[in-house]
Amino acid sequence: MNFVAVLLMLLAGTYWVAVLEDWVSTGRFRPAGPVLSGLALLGRESLVPRKPDRIFFEVAPALLLVSAVLAAAVLPLAPGLILADLATGALFVNAALAYVMVALLMAGWGPDGAYAMVGGFRFLGQLVAYSMLIVMPITAVAMRSESLLTTEIVTSQASLWNVVYQPLGFVLFLLAAMAVAFLPPFDLPTAPGELAGGVEAEYTGWRLAVMRLGRAVLVLTVALAATVFYLGGWLGPVLPPWAWSASKTLAVAAAMLFVGRYVPRLREADVLAWCWKYGIPLALLNIFYVGVVILGVA
Amino acid sequence: MSLLQQYALLLGMVAATVGLVINLGAVARAVGRTHAEKAKDVPATGGELSPEPVWVRYHVRYYGYALLFLAFDMEMAFMYPWAVVYKELGLVALLDMGVFLAILFLGLLYGWSQGALRRQ
Repeated sequence: MNFVAVLLMLLAGTYWVAVLEDWVSTGRFRPAGPVLSGLALLGRESLVPRKPDRIFFEVAPALLLVSAVLAAAVLPLAPGLILADLATGALFVNAALAYVMVALLMAGWGPDGAYAMVGGFRFLGQLVAYSMLIVMPITAVAMRSESLLTTEIVTSQASLWNVVYQPLGFVLFLLAAMAVAFLPPFDLPTAPGELAGGVEAEYTGWRLAVMRLGRAVLVLTVALAATVFYLGGWLGPVLPPWAWSASKTLAVAAAMLFVGRYVPRLREADVLAWCWKYGIPLALLNIFYVGVVILGVA
Repeated sequence: MSLLQQYALLLGMVAATVGLVINLGAVARAVGRTHAEKAKDVPATGGELSPEPVWVRYHVRYYGYALLFLAFDMEMAFMYPWAVVYKELGLVALLDMGVFLAILFLGLLYGWSQGALRRQ
């Protein structure tokens, strides 16, 4: 019963993320938009390039979707509303999200197209940049909760949300989360207007629909992860817990999508340099700061 | 749920997701097939055929970062167990990991000074 409820909520969340993305990128609010464009994509031809690496080409969209779904499976929506409350939940999120890079690299290599190839290898560079900024802030979160269970991480924030406790980690995690989901300032692998769609360039029809679905689930997943790790998950007064999770997650997703509209796309070299010269020292400082605060409290 | 059941559930979700994708493909194929037309399957290259083969050695210009990334990624494997027992161990844990991270951070600074942190 709970299982079905969680799946339905994740599905509804994905749908709203798709509506939001449409809204911020076109300026039109169309609640039926994702259904219509999904059906349209299913009805269209799905071309296969003439000399593809067929396995990579076919597997990449599915792998993108699978990695996002797996990461979402270990994140709680409310007490009891979680698919798998793994003892290594916080680590599992990282492991699942690592496959986003594999999927995009496969999508870049598979079709044997120049733009796709550049997009795929760019995302590999992007992983080298953002990856540390995902794992290091989560470490600081785990230090406070003394557990990698995602439900324990939420309950550890009962007195004070992590966004106040470790604001530096929150900012770094949010930026890295946008980079994982290749949202606008970090949309280097797709880069509309520059790479002709990059890794998405050779995908059409139902394969593109799967890829877009995977991306939407991914945006929802990283927003949910930010909610669980930093915004107190389901904690909040009056409303039922699941409503708090849902509204916080959608607010984070909306914020991430909205910011991208007003920031120009960053260059790969800049993303790498800024992440390693400023991001990682700041993330280490965050760990040290949290360590000192915990000792001070204890 | 036991640990084994949880992993079985996750495996089931992978299978279900793959099943969904295969079904979507089957539905799309049932709706209509692709017409074979000339030059329709050429990858997008700005209107022309790609002058060179695409599957070549790609110059990964961020290799300096990639090497540092290996060191940092290994370090994260130690960080997670450490983070879980941090409160229990207290100051000792902070000093232990502090020394380890300081050495690693010096490595980053050295790499930076030698020009590893730029697009080569």
